[in-house]
Amino acid sequence: MSATAQEPLNVQLKQQALALARAGLREDALQSVRRDALALLEHTEFPDKRTEQWKYTSLQALTAGHLTRVARGNGASLPAPLATHRLVLINGHYQPALSQLPDSITLTRFDGSRALAAETASDTLRTPFAWLNNATLTDGLQLDIADNTVVDAPVEVLLLATDDAPSHCQTRLRVQLGHHSRATVIERYAATGPVLTNAVTELVAGAGSQLTHYRLQAESPESLHIGTLIIAPGRDSNVHSCQLMQGNVLRRNDVRAIMAESGASLALNGIFVGRGNSHIDNQITVEHRVPHCHSEQLFKGMAGDTAKLVFNGRIHIFEGAKGTNAELSNKNLLLTPGAEVDTKPELEIYNDDVKCSHGTTCGQLDAQSLFYLRSRGIDAAEAKRMLGFGFVNELLGALPDQAVAEWARPWLEQALTEAEPAK
Amino acid sequence: MLDIRNLRATVAGEEILKGLNLSVKPGEVHAIMGPNGSGKSTLTNVLSGRDGYAITGGEALFEGRDLAELEPEERAHAGLFLAFQYPVEIPGVSNLEFLKASLEATRKAQGKEPWDAVTLLRHARETCKQVDLDPQFLKRGVNEGFSGGEKKRNEIMQMLLLQPKLALLDETDSGLDIDALQVVARGVNSLRSPERAIVLVTHYQRLLDYIVPDYVHVLANGRILKSGGKELALELEQRGYGWLTGEEEASA
Repeated sequence: MSATAQEPLNVQLKQQALALARAGLREDALQSVRRDALALLEHTEFPDKRTEQWKYTSLQALTAGHLTRVARGNGASLPAPLATHRLVLINGHYQPALSQLPDSITLTRFDGSRALAAETASDTLRTPFAWLNNATLTDGLQLDIADNTVVDAPVEVLLLATDDAPSHCQTRLRVQLGHHSRATVIERYAATGPVLTNAVTELVAGAGSQLTHYRLQAESPESLHIGTLIIAPGRDSNVHSCQLMQGNVLRRNDVRAIMAESGASLALNGIFVGRGNSHIDNQITVEHRVPHCHSEQLFKGMAGDTAKLVFNGRIHIFEGAKGTNAELSNKNLLLTPGAEVDTKPELEIYNDDVKCSHGTTCGQLDAQSLFYLRSRGIDAAEAKRMLGFGFVNELLGALPDQAVAEWARPWLEQALTEAEPAK
Repeated sequence: MLDIRNLRATVAGEEILKGLNLSVKPGEVHAIMGPNGSGKSTLTNVLSGRDGYAITGGEALFEGRDLAELEPEERAHAGLFLAFQYPVEIPGVSNLEFLKASLEATRKAQGKEPWDAVTLLRHARETCKQVDLDPQFLKRGVNEGFSGGEKKRNEIMQMLLLQPKLALLDETDSGLDIDALQVVARGVNSLRSPERAIVLVTHYQRLLDYIVPDYVHVLANGRILKSGGKELALELEQRGYGWLTGEEEASA
């Protein structure tokens, strides 16, 4: 059974995904994970424009055949590390020789040599791309931090995707923090070439633990990224996840936070900078399933040139989740007339005893501020860059790890310079 | 230095300046006074190039160059400075970054040697002291959370660092207590020199006790109605504007 060009794109993609999933079947400790995912893929349609969650995001770029070729690498060099301890995956495959693991972390690969008690069931993942990741699961990292352990220095996980031709890689990362432990994990994506990274990341924070997580998506403009992030904060835990991203050909993130243990606190922050003709789509769902959890989200987007930003922030408060405190804010800045932002907050609340606020805004640079800077001799382009940077800099200043902020500032400055309209 | 000839300007289609003439020579300090709505702020905005202010007649020349043809930043590079009536708050951009960008661009355009980071910081700290601002303000967002007086002192600090040829001060005295007024006045006076000129736009005479002008002009209904020496300000203080504009107005 092979896809023909006449068939709709979502049908072609489904067939390509099924072919990958079937080719990946093998008998080992992870076979049931793969089979379950394959079964789900078989019974699901891939999204197209009629799918509500994909209304503003087209998969048209994948007609180049990314799913028909596995990324093999092109010898790209690694970016300079951000932390003393770095673990490296290239095209989804762990590179022990390039990695250095702190003593306090136990590493397990999803290589099928043993069953992992806690592999995420495919129905938690919910999207066909995440199922494809499960169906082809042969590598990736699970990092375990024992109970009552403090990992002092941040640990960086570099996920590099490289190839010269349209191709894909599947990356998998699971971080499991023991109860009353503390760690900082920097999940950093880099890419060269037109590679699609299909990423699944799970964060499981034990009771009373503190997890700081960064998701840095600084891949090259010609790359693609479709990612799923699952966050499961334990009882009375504190999770802070900060997501910084630049636009590329296609960037889609499905983030799902499951507040299923009481007293948990979650902060989700993000900065999206769209440049050129790039596309960034973030779909965030925070589920409050139990009482007395706190979640706050602050996302800032900036679109220049003809870039497009999509944001959908959903807060779902279940019937029993009394005493929930949930906040969502998405602020966007349009730098050029050709840029586009589609943002939507969604609230679904089934309990009266909750505090919930949301707000989304979309605006242009303030003319008064622009004039103020220009009246001091700063030219219009530089003034716009400064104001754009100021718009996101507030968030950077609040990052718990200034090393990440130091890295992010020039990176964002560069993104902003590139986001300038061509004159 | 500044030659304004029969200047007409509109804001949102309404004519505010209706044939204004003013000539300012190097070394001079001019005060422009007038009732609210007379066109004082429109004049400074037109001169500094704010969007939305259209020159419909006449001209404004700065050292012989037609200001209408210069972008706001080019006017700054040429040596024009506007101290804002309402300085803008810009969170996320620190005062120091702002000063650095401003001084870099302006000094470069003026062919002056650039300041390295250490020199900039030294000058910025010294100037902070000069206007009685805590140097900690340099780290904060531009005017972010500043009181009215702090914002005005920040304007004067920028002016002192940029050393403009012509400083336009738009109601810099409004909202200042007497101590802050004296600080601001000291800053402005320190800029006075035979090569520079200052135009003060103000509603009140009290600023002129501290910055003594060479000329005082009364602006009303878009024109200069009367010009005189510093004694004119005192007369205005006593008699109000009504005797000039023909309208009843309580004295200030």
